[in-house]
Amino acid sequence: MNCDKILDLFRSELVTVNVGPRLFATALEKQGYAAIQVDWKPAAGGDAEMIEILELLGGLD
Amino acid sequence: MTVFANIQKGRYMDSLETLFAASLLNEQEGVSLGFVGMATPAFQKELEQAGMLTEEIRQCTGSDTVVAAQCRDQAAFDAALAALNSHSTADAPRQTEESFVSTRAAVEKHPEANLCSIAVPGEYALSEVRKALNLGLHCVVFSNNVPLEDERAMKELAREKGLLCMGPDCGVANINGAALVLSSINNRGPFGICGASGTGIQHVAAILHEAGTGVSQTIGTGGNDLKDQVGGITMLMGIDALEADPETRYIALISRKPGQKVLDKILDRVRRCRKPVVALLMGCERQVVESAGAVWAENLDDCALKCLELVGIRYPLATEEQLAQLAQEQVGKLSKGQKYLRGLYSGGTYMDEAAGALVPRVGRVWSNCPLDLAWKLEDSYCSRENSCVDYGEEEFTLGRPHPAIDPSIRKPAILREAADPEVAVMLLDFILTPPGHPDPAGYLLEDIRLAQQMAENEGRHIIFIASVLGTTADLQDLRQQQQKLEQAGVIVCQTNYRAAVLAGAIIRLKKERDADEL
Repeated sequence: MNCDKILDLFRSELVTVNVGPRLFATALEKQGYAAIQVDWKPAAGGDAEMIEILELLGGLD
Repeated sequence: MTVFANIQKGRYMDSLETLFAASLLNEQEGVSLGFVGMATPAFQKELEQAGMLTEEIRQCTGSDTVVAAQCRDQAAFDAALAALNSHSTADAPRQTEESFVSTRAAVEKHPEANLCSIAVPGEYALSEVRKALNLGLHCVVFSNNVPLEDERAMKELAREKGLLCMGPDCGVANINGAALVLSSINNRGPFGICGASGTGIQHVAAILHEAGTGVSQTIGTGGNDLKDQVGGITMLMGIDALEADPETRYIALISRKPGQKVLDKILDRVRRCRKPVVALLMGCERQVVESAGAVWAENLDDCALKCLELVGIRYPLATEEQLAQLAQEQVGKLSKGQKYLRGLYSGGTYMDEAAGALVPRVGRVWSNCPLDLAWKLEDSYCSRENSCVDYGEEEFTLGRPHPAIDPSIRKPAILREAADPEVAVMLLDFILTPPGHPDPAGYLLEDIRLAQQMAENEGRHIIFIASVLGTTADLQDLRQQQQKLEQAGVIVCQTNYRAAVLAGAIIRLKKERDADEL
């Protein structure tokens, strides 16, 4: 398998997007690593039918 | 008791923050029942069932944070709110308050991002992983309860893109020196570890650290990666990457017994690996592992020791004889009726390892997740004879953080078990990790002291035995945690396995002595 992208990760400064509890972002910051917080909430308030419609419309980010 | 509520319109709190706040709220004086949450329909329903849904809360939306409590009076509620506020401001200062509503928005502002850490409910994990992979991010996925077909789909997409997908259900990964999710902080060194057991990786890496070497990278695959339905995709990619990584000189593989098809693939890959491989594939024959050219490891301690042998480091772990000697010294402290042990574990891997060490020494071990189904406890809150309970199991963690993050789950068990006059030994594990409790040993000390005091008032002495998983680089500092326990009279063993061997030796010795007396 081509490992170029994984080796790039191993050679780079780690910058983590944290999707979910901020606790994990804070833990990385305490260690001196950059973390970017995404305050995740279920799309459409978790309404499965609405999520499906949004996906069909390409509206889910 | 009256219901009081505090509403903060438009304030976001994530699920873990609300769980911590709710735990804290319920500990406050004058509060009989408290809830903290975003005012989603599910949260409102919970309040309604508790008879605490006021009209004011009913008018809130899922974007509002609500603190609701049955309190003695307004003053008690105000004091509880002040405690919650002081706790949240006592957290480590954040480098930035910046946050985003989506991974896409985060990457647009920060194109330098290269990894995405995902901890969302299992049913949403695939969707979030897809977004991250499509944005070119490697992923570490903490979410559990992800359907196997979703896991396979996310890993196939990652493989197609040449990106790492660690997890789902990945508890441990150390990338470029950073301890992700529930890992310990480790020194860098020549060992690359790839494993389907988070505790297993953390355990081996911690011993390497304490022995003066370290890890290049550790790649957690998630516990289901080596099942035939998933196909070992991450394990195979991990081996490829570690073999290609110039910083990695040796590779360690750790897993419970893989599916047969996956095992064949892994062994075939190991056979072709150009770097030395130490393999702990639990439940696999030694000869099978060695036929692939790997160094066979019997258990977690052995895996670490075999790695260390490759770099010429001898790391002395207590021998059976030394533990037997220690058992001889301790057993005399027990009174006549004391004959059983109780293990209170914060994770399944360690509990299984302990049970595996105990059964040959003491016979059956009752548990909520027993080695033999006939030994299942009817009620996890009611131990019998020799028992071990895994407090990381879903029955305890549903709606709560894992005990490594929130050790309050097993706190009440110490006094409960100590009250049983037949209890002789209590076994405890402690896990250190950056997002974990800042002082997990200190948190339980008061209960350990109280339990001992209670036993001594009744003419008994309880032998507390513990092990601490972590390193001296961890924010809680392994040595400090061990010292706190030792100062409280706890016997601290180097590893979980050794703690269980010691406990088993004491119980067996006590049984022999009791029989002699008869």
